[in-house]
Amino acid sequence: MSPSETRPPETEGGPHVRHGGSWDLLGSEISVLFRRRRTWAMLVAVALIPILLAVAVRLSSSTLDPGEGPPFLDRVTQNGLFVGFTAMVVAIPLFLPLTIGVVAGDTIAGEAGLGTLRYLLVAPAGRVRLLLVKYAGAALFCLVATLTLTVSGALVGAALFPVGPVTLLSGDTISVTESLLRSLLVAAYVTVSLLGLAMIGLFISTLTDVPVGAMAATIVVSVIAQILDVIPQLDWLHPWLFSHYWLGFADLLRQPLDLGSFAHNAILQAGYLAVFGALAYSRFVTKDILS
Amino acid sequence: MKLVSRNALRWLPAFVVPAVVVTAVIAVPLQAGAAVDLPDKTPEQVLLLVNDSTVSAFSGTVDQSSDLGLPSLNLTEALPEGNDSTSPLGLTTVLELLSGSHEFRVYVGGEGQSRVQVKDRMAERNVVHNGSDIWLYDSSTNAATHLSLPADLEATAQAKSAELHSQLPTDLATPAQLAERFLSELDPSTTVSVGTDARIAGRSVYQLLLTPRTNEMLTSDTLVASVSIAVDSETGLPLQVTVLAQGQSAPAFQVGFTAIDFAAPNTDLFNFVPPANASVTEQTLPAKPEGSTGDHSGDHSPAVGEVPVVTGTGWSTIVEVPAAAVPAELGDNPLLDQLTTAVDGGRALTTSLVTVFQSNDGRVFAGAVPLAALQAAAQ
Amino acid sequence: MTGAGTGAHQAQGLAIETRALTKKFGSQTAVNGIHLRVPRGAVFGFLGPNGSGKTTSIRMLLGLTQASSGSISVLGQSMPTRLSEVLPRVGALVEGPAFYPFLSGAANLRRLDTADPFAPRRTRRARVQGALERVGLSHAAEKKVHAYSLGMKQRLGIANALLLPRELLVLDEPTNGLDPQGTREVRSLVRSLAAEGTTVFVSSHLLAEVEQMCTHAAVMSVGSLVAQGTLAALRQVGETRVHLRTPDAAGALRVLTRLGLEPARATNDAADAVVVAPLGDTNWQPEAIVTALVAGGVRIRGFAIEEPSLEERFVALTGEGFDVAQ
Ligand SMILES: Nc1ncnc2c1ncn2[C@@H]1O[C@H](COP(=O)(O)OP(=O)(O)OP(=O)(O)O)[C@@H](O)[C@H]1O
Ligand SMILES: [Mg+2]
Repeated sequence: MSPSETRPPETEGGPHVRHGGSWDLLGSEISVLFRRRRTWAMLVAVALIPILLAVAVRLSSSTLDPGEGPPFLDRVTQNGLFVGFTAMVVAIPLFLPLTIGVVAGDTIAGEAGLGTLRYLLVAPAGRVRLLLVKYAGAALFCLVATLTLTVSGALVGAALFPVGPVTLLSGDTISVTESLLRSLLVAAYVTVSLLGLAMIGLFISTLTDVPVGAMAATIVVSVIAQILDVIPQLDWLHPWLFSHYWLGFADLLRQPLDLGSFAHNAILQAGYLAVFGALAYSRFVTKDILS
Repeated sequence: MKLVSRNALRWLPAFVVPAVVVTAVIAVPLQAGAAVDLPDKTPEQVLLLVNDSTVSAFSGTVDQSSDLGLPSLNLTEALPEGNDSTSPLGLTTVLELLSGSHEFRVYVGGEGQSRVQVKDRMAERNVVHNGSDIWLYDSSTNAATHLSLPADLEATAQAKSAELHSQLPTDLATPAQLAERFLSELDPSTTVSVGTDARIAGRSVYQLLLTPRTNEMLTSDTLVASVSIAVDSETGLPLQVTVLAQGQSAPAFQVGFTAIDFAAPNTDLFNFVPPANASVTEQTLPAKPEGSTGDHSGDHSPAVGEVPVVTGTGWSTIVEVPAAAVPAELGDNPLLDQLTTAVDGGRALTTSLVTVFQSNDGRVFAGAVPLAALQAAAQ
Repeated sequence: MTGAGTGAHQAQGLAIETRALTKKFGSQTAVNGIHLRVPRGAVFGFLGPNGSGKTTSIRMLLGLTQASSGSISVLGQSMPTRLSEVLPRVGALVEGPAFYPFLSGAANLRRLDTADPFAPRRTRRARVQGALERVGLSHAAEKKVHAYSLGMKQRLGIANALLLPRELLVLDEPTNGLDPQGTREVRSLVRSLAAEGTTVFVSSHLLAEVEQMCTHAAVMSVGSLVAQGTLAALRQVGETRVHLRTPDAAGALRVLTRLGLEPARATNDAADAVVVAPLGDTNWQPEAIVTALVAGGVRIRGFAIEEPSLEERFVALTGEGFDVAQ
């Protein structure tokens, strides 16, 4: 039986020809994500972190002693390129996980809350395809958020402070161009760092139809991981916490460049991706869509 | 029926994937350590291997961890004091490096060229040695210290450098140095054997096992249960030193490479130029960093009452520092109050490996022995 | 399609077929072993009071929830195993429309259209325009959905089901929240779709609506399917009745009894009573009854022969009470 025969005249190709729809859905997902005012608000807030830091340092009359305040802050007045690094250190523990929590927690639960999940699924988006597309969207947001911070830091640093060769943690000095490359490497590192949390958020998001709950739970998970990471009695656990290497991008500011923690971090995050990806898959493909 | 099995199938990944990941986490390190079988060697042959080692240049990552049972330290409270002293390597630093675990990067570039980087959280401490220059740089304070060794006094310089190194905690970072220290102290009090072959930093190693002899003295006379030195089977370079304490299964102290590369590092690494805005301190060598044992402090020659006295032999050696020679910093450092406990006849610091005892009259006794042995020595 | 399996031939005539379809929520049985048979080309009314299990059944038909037991075949293929082949041929409106409030109506449709891997991108805009036109929303296409009224959202929901030509439309209460004009439009829309050959499965608790547009119907009650068939067949089970308004109730009862009917007073107002009598299998013509009544001295204020209504049938099947089924 051929359904297309019984159907009214159809656009050429017929209804049973795939049209590369996965990329369409991904494009649509990204455009919906970045068309939301909430997404923009979060990106603006992320961009504001280095701006606020730089303006505060610029306006304050007292100079900081080395080692005072967040890392690199005392260097900012001498070299604007440090603004981005300081902002990254400031944003990593709470603010970036918060935005990732909002985006990742919203992935499935948000659609369920709006009721659009059932329409996507009867379209049919396919549950696995939808999960993949949703995760890709969240991962892209991780990248965009860290790049926003990096770019905003570089711009405001260049605008308010002198720019010159950058002193690394090892005391060696590198050129402006290389420091910009290292900034991008740091952004890549932080993006990778957040991928595990994004997958945890995706999994939590499949558990509920209440997006706010999934967002809060994801943020709480990131806070708990960081608390566990500072309890000395649990030091056997520390290397397995997804947040353990979050500040490890410091290794990218050493000379010679140390990609060891980048690799460690990537492997750890891949482990989290596998575990929580499997959980999210199992949960979502067996889930009754009742929203 | 069919639906149930479909669902069961779909839940499979949720159990299988975590199980696989956990298995991998457990199995990969096991596999790395397993199945090493080297041609048998006697301890003498392994020592010879170390002796004949021609490695002069390498770079690597070193992990050092201590489980000395030190009381937990409030280092942040004590740190400003440590920073006040001109030396970045005072008592506070030593204690900090002895507690918990640390990661170093070590670069050795042959003749008189080496660089050790202590990786701290968002910071780094560097010791760069290049010919007659030694640079210390601490990124958290952005402070650099320059020590220049007089080039014509080669022998003295080497001695001084060795002395300096003995005071730098970072010298623990090179297993070769530590191993040599242990090997030179080999005497009839020690049983030397070769343990099972293993894999360290991706290289197959012989394990030289040093155990205090029990037939000559009671085991309880020393706190050290054994010292094992992992020797690279190809190059003879010691790659790891592990010290086990009596009655403790986890190593009390361990330092070893986690990665090593025998290619000569880029020489640029040893040409240290302090950052433009760093505060640079020039130090002439005789002026020793604070916190050292202070047996000769430049302007006055050591008096008899200031020379440390060594009693006992082998593993149960006890060092006695006369009251006059005890540096003032020891008295002032608030860390000491945290560290020590009041005992019969003074205050004591007991760790799983080393005991330090300060008697009420100010003398300080130290050794890898139980507290009672020190108290007895103080009598 | 070759992969339709052995049941393909049998199911040729059926757009939807369920066997002993059951859904349990914990201890509660929301749908209890229903055997739905929706012929192709039919406009099928799925009737039932609130909470009787209509939406739950539809969710199972569309693969949104898993059946606790039983089997489903849609367009000849088993669900949810062949979901990815079946659903592109099905348009659906499930339990009211749902959209992204921050997107315009047209953007919403485009978004949902991308989710269908078989929907061609090239024609997307045109198809969205066409669907919006079909439900009379062209003027509001670029308006954000949060600014839509309830009825506008409902129309947008129907438009979403019409983005591609479908073989089967599943519409869960499509006229909910629509104005009379909109209700009428939906009715004519359904008729025109049916005329094009689309099977329409429409759930409702509005009997009048079903009576006006459906060829077939099924009635749900407390999770069970209590009746199904063509509209005519369902009606047939009901009775044609004489409905008489008269001030002479006693006379009317006497005359009608003499004609072999079983009359009953429907009201007790002596001055203006209503008397009802089922015609049963007597073959009395209306004019003969009126003649007999007049001859018997009964004054007639109103007289009608009532065809059986679906409503009675519905009430008879699902109970009179206003309580929602558990
Ligand atoms: N998620 C759920 N959990 C538990 N019970 C549910 C759930 N969804 C529906 N039910 C129950 O299933 C039964 C059928 O509900 P359903 O939504 O199918 O009714 P309906 O026929 O669509 O009613 P309506 O005309 O009001 O839309 C109801 O008794 C309801 O309480
Ligand atoms: Mg319903």
